[in-house]
Order: sequence, then structure tokens, then C-alpha cells
Amino acid sequence: MSGIAGIPYYILEFGDELVYLTPYTVTLLLMALAFTVLVILSRPERQVDIIFGTDACYAKETGKDELRFRRFMAIACGLACMGAMVTGDMFNFTLFVSLVGICNVGIVAAVRIRHVQEATFQYGIVALAATVPLFGAAALVAASTGTLSMVELWKEATPAVPLAVKALLVLGVMGEGMAPFYAAKAEMFRAPGAPYVIMCSLSSLLIFLRVIEIVLAV
Amino acid sequence: MWPQHSIGLLLVLVSGIVAFYALVVERDDLHRLLLLDLVEIPALGIIALLGTDLAEALILPGLVVGIAELLALSQIYLMKEEISDRRVKGLPIEVVRADAPLIISVILVIYGIVLSGFTGGGIAGLGVVFYFMSRGHREHFEMLEMASGISWAVWILGFFIFMFLPQYWVLALYLAAIGILIKVIVKMSLVGTMWGDAP
Repeated sequence: MSGIAGIPYYILEFGDELVYLTPYTVTLLLMALAFTVLVILSRPERQVDIIFGTDACYAKETGKDELRFRRFMAIACGLACMGAMVTGDMFNFTLFVSLVGICNVGIVAAVRIRHVQEATFQYGIVALAATVPLFGAAALVAASTGTLSMVELWKEATPAVPLAVKALLVLGVMGEGMAPFYAAKAEMFRAPGAPYVIMCSLSSLLIFLRVIEIVLAV
Repeated sequence: MWPQHSIGLLLVLVSGIVAFYALVVERDDLHRLLLLDLVEIPALGIIALLGTDLAEALILPGLVVGIAELLALSQIYLMKEEISDRRVKGLPIEVVRADAPLIISVILVIYGIVLSGFTGGGIAGLGVVFYFMSRGHREHFEMLEMASGISWAVWILGFFIFMFLPQYWVLALYLAAIGILIKVIVKMSLVGTMWGDAP
């Protein structure tokens, strides 16, 4: 029994909860873990604007409340990412992915600048709309194969998941993984408090990598 | 699949397309936010079409995620439009100012307690939400939060009894039902007190 991600080291089944560790998922888990630790340890960057042609420059400080909120959201995003990397349950995966979406909204929304808020709102609308194909795909997997467990779905005896359902799943993950585009649109990567914004990019990269494995394996 | 499922899926698909089309055409941000709530319904419809116990277990997290994102987005909307300083205290409607919310809330709460479990919690919580929303509030919420936490712990305890001591399943059932009932009521009533004060 081996999925596309290699032979599992370990499969934990506890009621509905199913976690499996293969070389692929362990790699992704370690990436998410390492970056979450970095987020916990790091201090936000101070951005310095220099006014061209003069000596004047001013530094933008990140307030303590804003810092704590963004750090909390980034850590929550890392935890949700780790969950999405190792879960072996289709519905739990979609839940973790939508949690990543909510945390990304939180990370970006902490910046109290109008155009950033505007971009966050647009991303939030996309993320919320993306839960429709996401949960729909999970429900259709259960309806067409009778199980949500990926270990069951690997087996030859289980009917294959229809292509349209896989497309829905990928569409949902694409919607939730849109955060870096909106963050770039609002020039978030140049806004003060740098390390936390990178969590948006990393989490969307990781959920894309994981959904590829799922779509190929089931 | 059985034919009802296919027919239902078709209906959900059509309503989903209509809702998404509306979302694409609409330009006003507030209306898009409201339409999103509408878009959520087809997703819940697809899950509900499973028609098993599993469907109920899957709808609840889906619903919670939807509500959480909607609350977050409405806060962002308030901040974005710079209207978060406009405090609203209760709905200025004549019927709501009279005794109607009290009566409706009491009916909903009693019916919810009779139902018990998550559904009952949802209905009773809706009653409390409606009451808080129409009356405003001045209380402190530490007690409510504590009740929510304790009832959540009771619910988890019920689950552990189910798993490790299955012979006491009746006790576990009652613990879980009461725990989730109180927890959902309290959580929803806290939602009812959110009148958009700045975070």
C-alpha cells in the first residue's frame, strides 16, 4: 500500500481522525514547522522610507498590539498548514485549507492602511467563495466513493474519484491560495512587519503542493 | 448514485451558478458580502445531499467556517469604509422595541432545550442572539465565556467516555448533549452582542 507520496512511515487512525506520514508529507510538515518556529522567534522589520533628494528619512514602527495580533495569526496559519500537510481525511484537509485562508485574511488585515484593507476584503471574498467548491468536493468524494479516508481511497477496490470532483478540489485550493497575489497587489511585502506576510506565500505554496499529491493519489 | 442525489446536485449546481453570477455582476462591496452568505448555501446543500449522519457532522464545521469568515470580513468592511466608530445600540424598529423579541426568544430557547444537542444549541442560541441584537447589552461576558469553556470540557469528557468506557454510553451521551447545548448557546449569544465595536 503506497500512495504517490511514497511508502508511509506511520498511519495513525483514531476514530475519524486519520494522520499519515510519508516522505512527502513529512517534508512538507517540516517546512511548515521550521517556518512557524522562525515566525515565533523573529522580530518585525522596521521599514525606513527615504525622501528622495533630501536628508529626511522616517522609520515606520509596528505597534505592540498589531505585532502580537499578526504574530498570533501567523502562528495559527502555521499550525493550520501543518494540519493540512499530515491529515489523511479529505474533509479535514478542506477544513484546514479554509482555516489557512481565514488566517491569511487575519495576517493581511492587521495592517491599518486603507488600500491594504481593500485588498484584504477582496481576498476574503475570494476565500469565502472558494469554500463552496472545497466543501462541495469533499462531500462529493464521500458521495461517489463512500469514504473520506485517503488510505481507503488509495486501495484498488475503492471506486476512483471522478475527475470533475478533483477539479473542484483544486479550484477550491486555488481560491484559498490566492493570498500572495492580493498581498502583492497591496504592496504588503514592502509594508512594515515583514516576516509575517511571508507566511501567506509559504502556506499557499504548501497547500498547493499537498493538493497535487491528493489529486494524483486518489 | 441514486436518482434523487443527481437531481439534487443539478438543483444545487443551478443555484450555485446563479449565486456566483450575481457575485460577479455585483459591484457594491456590501452587497457582495451579503451575496456571499447566499453562495455558502449551495455548498451546504451539496453536503446535506449525502443524507447520512456524516452529512450533519460535516455541515457544522462548514457552517462555522462560513460564519467566522463572514464576521471577519464584516469587521474588515467596517474598518475599510471607516464606519467602525458608529455605535449601534439595538434595532430601531417599533415591534422590536416592544415585547416581541422576549416572547420569540423564550419560545426558541425552550424549543432548543427540548431538542438538545447541537441543533438545539443552535436554535436556543438563535433566540439569545435575537434578544441581544434587538435589546443591546451592558453586561460583562466573563461568566458567559467561562460557561462556554466548562461546557466544552464537559463535551470532550463525554467523548472520552465514549471511546474508553463504552459501557457508560448513556452518561457520555447526556454529558455531550448538555455540553454542546450550553456551548453553542453561549457562543451564539456572544455573536449576538457584536455590534461592530472596534477590536
